Parts: sequence; structure tokens; C-alpha cells
Amino acid sequence: MDGIGKKKHIGLGKRIHLFFVYVKRHPLLYLMLIPGLIFLFLYKFWPLYGLQMAFRDYNIFLGANPLDAIAKSRWVGFRWFEKLFSSSDFTKVLRNTLIINGMKIAVLFPLPIICSFLLNEIQNRRYRKFTQTAIYVPYFFSWVMIFGMFYSLLGNYGIINSAIVKLGGERVRFFTDLGIFRWLLVFTEGWREVGYNTVIYMAAITGIDITLYEAAKVDGANKWQQLWHVTVPGILPTIVLMLILKVGYILNTGFEQVLVFYNPAVYDVADIIQTYVYRIGMGRMEYSLTTALGLFNSIVAFVLIIGANTVSRKTLHRSIW
Amino acid sequence: MTVKALPNSKKISNRIPRDRTEKIMSVIAYIVMTFLALIAIFPCLHVISKSVSTGTAVTAGRVLFWPVGVQLDTIKYVFTKTDFFSALKNSLIVTVAGTAISMFTTITTAYPLSKQGFKGHRFITLLYVISMVFYGGIVPCYMVVVTMGILDTYWACILPFAIVQFNMFIVKNYFEGLPSEVEESAAIDGANDVRTLISIVLPMSVPVLATVALLYAINYWNNYFHVMMYTTSSSMRTMQLYLYDIINNSQAFAENLSNGAKGVGNYLENITTEGMVAAAVSLSIIPIIAAYPFIQRYMVHGITVGSVKG
Repeated sequence: MDGIGKKKHIGLGKRIHLFFVYVKRHPLLYLMLIPGLIFLFLYKFWPLYGLQMAFRDYNIFLGANPLDAIAKSRWVGFRWFEKLFSSSDFTKVLRNTLIINGMKIAVLFPLPIICSFLLNEIQNRRYRKFTQTAIYVPYFFSWVMIFGMFYSLLGNYGIINSAIVKLGGERVRFFTDLGIFRWLLVFTEGWREVGYNTVIYMAAITGIDITLYEAAKVDGANKWQQLWHVTVPGILPTIVLMLILKVGYILNTGFEQVLVFYNPAVYDVADIIQTYVYRIGMGRMEYSLTTALGLFNSIVAFVLIIGANTVSRKTLHRSIW
Repeated sequence: MTVKALPNSKKISNRIPRDRTEKIMSVIAYIVMTFLALIAIFPCLHVISKSVSTGTAVTAGRVLFWPVGVQLDTIKYVFTKTDFFSALKNSLIVTVAGTAISMFTTITTAYPLSKQGFKGHRFITLLYVISMVFYGGIVPCYMVVVTMGILDTYWACILPFAIVQFNMFIVKNYFEGLPSEVEESAAIDGANDVRTLISIVLPMSVPVLATVALLYAINYWNNYFHVMMYTTSSSMRTMQLYLYDIINNSQAFAENLSNGAKGVGNYLENITTEGMVAAAVSLSIIPIIAAYPFIQRYMVHGITVGSVKG
């Protein structure tokens, strides 16, 4: 705050002058920024220009290239949004997005916290390292690889179904059953992410002052009491931050996973906003309609993320960026 | 309150042997974590075992996490009769070139922004933060790639992902934490900014650069959706696209096999659709498993670096 206050006393002309003096002294620093800025403008800001499609009747054949065609398409105001909000597909994909990601948070959020507590109780260092490494590996697999592995396990002729049949049961159609499919998404998400998040909490536990545990031991606290009165308060900021992030990104996560795992049989329960945008937008060339949906998604996500960041900064004095 | 409770709790701890809860928790910890570790490893062992087990064992569902009767026909088939090597080549090109480009742009962006007193720091940082929050969407991004004329080239698989903002901020934060005295003394000795960066800052930042390079490499290697959108010809397919095709078309592969390769005898017996999928998955996870010691060494540290400074 002080720095900003001081700066205001210097006149604008003087500030511009100081800026150029600095640029003259460090020209290379500014040259260095150029590759990154070119990237930023081409691939992050130029697409924002394309968002106009949501308010136009976009026809890709009107221009020399797809972006040129945007300016030549007719403005239609909020027509696409009206069409969107009155369609049953919209409510369906919005509901699916919230249900699937809500289930993931409810079921998976506590697991890495518990895992980090347990991991911390393993006294043998080598064994602790081994288990941590093992649960951490899946994070580095792509969704396609994970799909392949679980298809191998849970497919109609996979090992699980072979076992079920041997025991006299009926084959379970994990990938096409409407009741099971969402749980398959939750389970595979957990399989991939729990280890990674455990490492984050482990790092937070390592940051706790060791003398607190010693003091607790002197006071006669047993392991359970130490956990409850030292460890939990110690990592609470991390827990809250992670929860805020998860809620903030609730509309934006899970896209590639669903895209890889789902199939027409489960569209009703698994089609989320982004998979719908991709399937209808690219597949049926409904560019304007799906850009409108994408824009709606971005705006809600933006509000959620900014809100989450504000909560995080106010309560924890930590900002996401 | 706590002071009063102190003698009381001491009494309790005298009655109950002090290490009892410790023992119980420790036993629970060993059991649960071992179980979770097995769940994490099992699918990997299963596909690898399946890819080298005999066809009859695979079909009968007798392969768990150890090969049943070893054969290499399935892997040989994947190597010779599918586009495995073409996909591998594409993935390697994209991953190696992409990581190099990403590291270059990330370092050249992070370094000026990390400099104390760098004029324009706030504005440039703001641009990157804005780009993290506002997303043009799937369709507009596709239109940009088409308009630039890079559709169906390696560039389309690399340039749109050249900077992951989060990675750039990790590097920037790390640079900021370096002692500025060393850099200043270099400046006094007449070194310009590029020289200081190359000969002083980068050698001091090896751990964080290794972490971020790894994050980029995995990002490129695992990229499925964007490569699928931005490439059209089958000769441009990377490992992820190839793998997805294998999984979804394994039935068709098997039919081709039984139509075209009659009389090969033993060779054919071992190749099953299940085994094919398993072999393709196994081959694609090998690079990640191979990189694992490296991941293990730098990544835990990297996550900590990223999460400590917000």
C-alpha cells in the first residue's frame, strides 16, 4: 500500500521517463518477454475474440478463414442463450456436471487427508517411502492409459467379470450401466488423484513445528490427541485452501476423463458441459450454440474462482496466484 | 483450562500404557496403506502380466498380477501390425520439442518478472493471471489453430501449450527466492542480463527447472484431447490417440487377424483382443515408469515449492 501511495506523488511524465531509463538499461529483459507474450496473445487472448460467435449467427463459409467469418456473420443478440436455457440438454449437462463433481468432492476430498495421517504413522522410513511412491504413480498416467487399465480389469471379459461369472454371478456392465457409471468415474478419479493430494498434505505436515508435538507429549497427549490437537490445526489452512479450489473449479474439472470413459449408452448420466460442447459443437458444427454454452460456463466458473480466491485471501491470507 | 487439565491427563496417561494408541494407529496405518498401495499398483501389474501371458490364460481370466505362461507374440504383433512406432515417433517429437520450447518461453518469461524493480512487472503479471481465468473455449481455440494454418502439424500439438501459467509462476517464485547479491555482483562485473541468467541463475535453479521440465514433458506425452482436435491425418496420431483407438477397436483388430492370418498356428493362438489392449497400455506406461526415479527425486520437492508460495 505504501509503495502505491508513494508512486502517486511522482508525476506521470516522470514515471514514464523512469520507465524508459529502466528499459534502456535492461533492454534484454524486455526482449525476453516477447516469446511468452506472442504465445499469450495468439493462444489465450485471440480465442477470446471468437467468443462473439455466441452473439452471432455464425456461418463458417462466410469468410476467408474461420475467424474472418465471425465478423461477417449476423448479430443475433441473446438468441442462442434463449435457445440454450430453454433446452432440456442444458439442464441435463449442468446437472450431470454438478452431480459428478459433487460426488467426487464428497467422497474423495477426505481421503488424502486421512492417508497423510496414516502415512505419517508408518515408522519404517523405507516402507513409508514405498507406499507413498506407489499411491503417487497413477497421477502421471493419462486418462487414456487409465481407461485402458480399467477396461482390462472391469470390461465385459475383464478379470473382475471373469471372477464374478466363476462365482456364479451375472456380468456387471461397468462402462454402460447408468447406475454404476458415475461411481466408476469417482473411483478412477480417486485412483489417480488421492496419492498426489496426499503428498501435498504430507508437505503441510512436515511444515508443522516439531516442538509442538514434544510439548504435547510432555502434557501426556497420546497419538490420537496429538493428531487432533496438533496435526489437524497445523494443516487446516491447506485443507481449507484445497476445498476452496475444488469448489471453485467444480464446473471445469473432469472433462478429459469423461470424454475418454463415456459412450452413447451413458450420455444421460455422464454428459457434462464440456463434453457436450465438444460433441455438439465440433461434431454437429453447432458453433454458435456451443460457444454460448462455453461462455456461460466460463462466466460462472470465473465468478466461482474469483469468489474462491477472495475467500482464501480473506480467511487464510493466501491467494491462488 | 489447559493448565488445569494437565495433571488429570497425566494421570490418564499413567493408567493407560503410553504407546497403546500409538501401536493401534501404527497397525491400522500399515494395513490401510499397504492395501492402498496394492490397489494403486495392481492395475499396472495386471496389464503388464496380461500382455505377456498365453492367449488361453488371458481368455480364461486366469491372469492376475503375474504372467501365466510367457509369450511375446502379442507384443510382436503390436510392434509389427499396428501403427505403434509411428505413434511413438510422433509422441517423442512432440514431447521433446515441446518441452524444449516450453522451458525456453517459461524461463524467458519468469526471469524478467522475478527481477526486483522490473518496470511493468504488475502489468505483465496481470496479463498472465487474466489468461488463467478467462478461457476462450473449445470452439474458438480450434478456430485460431485453423486460421493460423497449423492444423494437423506438430506445431498444433505444441504451441497452444507452450506456457502453463502455473509452471511459469513456480519458476518465477523460485527465481525470486534466490539471493540477489550474486546477481548484483555479476552485473557489476559487466555481465548483461542474458549472461547473468545463463551463467548464474539457471545453474542455481536446477531442481525447480527439472521439476517443471518433467511437468511439461508429462503434459505433452499425456495430451489426448487437444491432439485429437488439432490433428486430422492418421499419420499424425500420437501414443494417446493410438492407444484409444486400440482399446475401442480391439474387436475389429481381432477380426482382421482371424481373417487374414489363417494357418499361422501358434502365433495366432496367443493374440487376443484383451491381450492386445493390455500390450498397448503396457507399452505406453513404460516411459512414465522409466521416468519415475526422476519424478520421485524432483517432484515431491517441486510440489512443495509450488504450494509454499501462493
